[in-house]
Amino acid sequence: MTKPIIEVKDLAKNFGDNQVLKNISEQVNPGQVIVVIGPSGGGKSTFLRCLNLLETPTSGEVDFDGQNLTTLDTKKVNTLREQMGMVFQNFNLFPNMTVLENIKLAPMKVKNISDADATKRAHELLQQVNLDDHADAFPTSLSGGQAQRVAIARALAMDPKVMLFDEPTSALDPEMVGEVLNVMQDLAQQGMTMVVVTHEMGFAKSVADRVWFMADGYIQENNTPEEFFSNPQTERAQDFLSKILM
Amino acid sequence: MKNKLIMAIALVMALVAGWTATTTTAQAATDDSLAQVQKSGKLVMGTSPDYPPYEFQATVHGKSQVVGMDVAVGKKIAKDLGVKLVVKSMSFDSLLVALQTGKVDMVISGMNPTPARRKNVDFTHTYYQGGYSIVINKSDKGIYKDKDSFVGKTIGAQTGSTMYTESKKQTSGTTVKGMTSVSDLILGLQSHKLQGVAMEKPSAQAYVANNKELAMIPSNFDLSASDTSASVAFAKGSTSLVAAANKSVDQIRKQNLVNKTYLPAAGKYLKTNTVNTSMLHYWKAFLKGIEYTLIITVCSVFFGFILGVLLSLARMAQGGVFATALRWLATAYVEFIRGTPMMVQVMFVYFGLGLIVNLPALTSGIIAISLNSGAYIAEYIRGGINSVDKGQTEAARSLGMTKGYTLRYVVLPQALKNIWPSLGNEFITLIKDSSIVSIIGVSELIFQSNIVRSDTYRGVAPIAVIMVLYFIMTFTASRILNHFERKMQHD
Repeated sequence: MTKPIIEVKDLAKNFGDNQVLKNISEQVNPGQVIVVIGPSGGGKSTFLRCLNLLETPTSGEVDFDGQNLTTLDTKKVNTLREQMGMVFQNFNLFPNMTVLENIKLAPMKVKNISDADATKRAHELLQQVNLDDHADAFPTSLSGGQAQRVAIARALAMDPKVMLFDEPTSALDPEMVGEVLNVMQDLAQQGMTMVVVTHEMGFAKSVADRVWFMADGYIQENNTPEEFFSNPQTERAQDFLSKILM
Repeated sequence: MKNKLIMAIALVMALVAGWTATTTTAQAATDDSLAQVQKSGKLVMGTSPDYPPYEFQATVHGKSQVVGMDVAVGKKIAKDLGVKLVVKSMSFDSLLVALQTGKVDMVISGMNPTPARRKNVDFTHTYYQGGYSIVINKSDKGIYKDKDSFVGKTIGAQTGSTMYTESKKQTSGTTVKGMTSVSDLILGLQSHKLQGVAMEKPSAQAYVANNKELAMIPSNFDLSASDTSASVAFAKGSTSLVAAANKSVDQIRKQNLVNKTYLPAAGKYLKTNTVNTSMLHYWKAFLKGIEYTLIITVCSVFFGFILGVLLSLARMAQGGVFATALRWLATAYVEFIRGTPMMVQVMFVYFGLGLIVNLPALTSGIIAISLNSGAYIAEYIRGGINSVDKGQTEAARSLGMTKGYTLRYVVLPQALKNIWPSLGNEFITLIKDSSIVSIIGVSELIFQSNIVRSDTYRGVAPIAVIMVLYFIMTFTASRILNHFERKMQHD
């Protein structure tokens, strides 16, 4: 009934002879939280990066909000990318700018928002991720958890319709994983559409609307978290779960 | 592949040079040289002012200017033509090239009208008949008698001069060493690297009169008249101008103006020069040198940086035939510039490009050094951009920033920080390397020090002074650069 916000049709991606994604067709509805799990090297990150065209698909199409990204010109793609926030495993904060400047840069340069408005909005977002007291710090002085929360705030500053998370907690010390997941959970509760690639099964269980299990370049299983974790359909998923859940 | 490319470039450049050369001969065929000079209202004279009493630098009414008997000859010619004389200084080697490429209208620099030179330029009648002498150290006075006494020894002469050619031809068992400036030769003599220096008699007299350590002996070279006489040179084919100048030259000969008026006047300037030879007295000359050195360096780094950014982007261009062509061109440019000496590039821009557009020496120097520096800076920047983590670009692009914004606000600032030490190095190197433009007569520090050396007949002191001055400049520059480097650190 509802129109999907992201629709992927026959998406494939090759790196040279290596076929990483093999004809994937799925859709994400507004407000949905999708958690993509699966073994390393299964194509999860590549899939996510194809959604906002950081990787150019070899074939197939990615529709965002009804528009096929793969056929649009660069300018249009840039505009649509604003609406898809992305959070990276290694945070990728700009080291030459303060936390506040990191958040303000894109709104000011891309959306031409005034310095005063951008600053105000940045402080609001920093409060949301509990880091307003670090506004003038440089990224190198932050812990991993803090840096990732700033990165989330930075992505949110563009008011995206969808947030993409590429293993957001994989580079963190274990005691910092919680603070980042809490922020993400809050975001989900506020109704943000999210696609999360992660190894945090607990997060998948409690927050996800759907779990996509991905291996060998395919989405092998698309299920509710309850069904997926208690009663996985495919052998590949059963095998994977038996190894991680002990 | 690369070699083919370079060959192609060399070919293109040769063609350009060939084409421009033919255009000049074509110009010369229709002789409007006199009309042109009269139209412009000025006559540009090229000279190498390190050859007293022919031409040298002296302080007149607090201002440094070129004086000497050749300048007096030039003034007379200009006056008879009813135009203003403009004196342009450059090294003796560059004079005839400057004449052929139209940088100057005539050359008066104690130049002998040899048959070889006659092939390339036109000479007036001779305005002065001199002879050669050899300057030696006074302590050696009994040992050397003439050119034949130097068997197993070394004598020096100015590169490109007749003395140099004749010394080679007419001595046997003697090493002949060429240097660009006479002050260097005298310095070589005093430091016993040379046992004698061959030069025009009036010059020898001037040096001996002003330096108690020196003495002169007759050379006894066997010389035809053309080798010991001095004439004014004009561009080949400028018959009308030569004819007009000949009228003045004939008057000079007839009234014996050189010996009666010009030489005594030059002698007076020489005396004022040597009254005070302390380096402090010449602070203005050094200051001017510093000023020009800094102008050249700062401008070249500025334009070189802009060019470097563009070149590095062109070298990294991706996709499409256009991008590939751009990448090839930029790569070829960088390879070519890095593979040729900066001195040659400076001369090519001044003399070569000068055939198409007449650029002043300072502008040519800045252009040449910017072009050179751009190639090196491009490589630093390319390395700097590659050193920035790819995640930075991805983060910026994922925020909707365009390629251009990403580069400008995210990648370049970080690249700049990474390459700052290399850029600083380039800047400091340029402060020193800018001295190369002295060969085309830009009054930067080296050029000025050479003038002070020939003015004061002191060989070493000016070198010591500029060494200290260069060090002060480079040291200050490196302190300033360090300051900014510290400012860019955020850890």
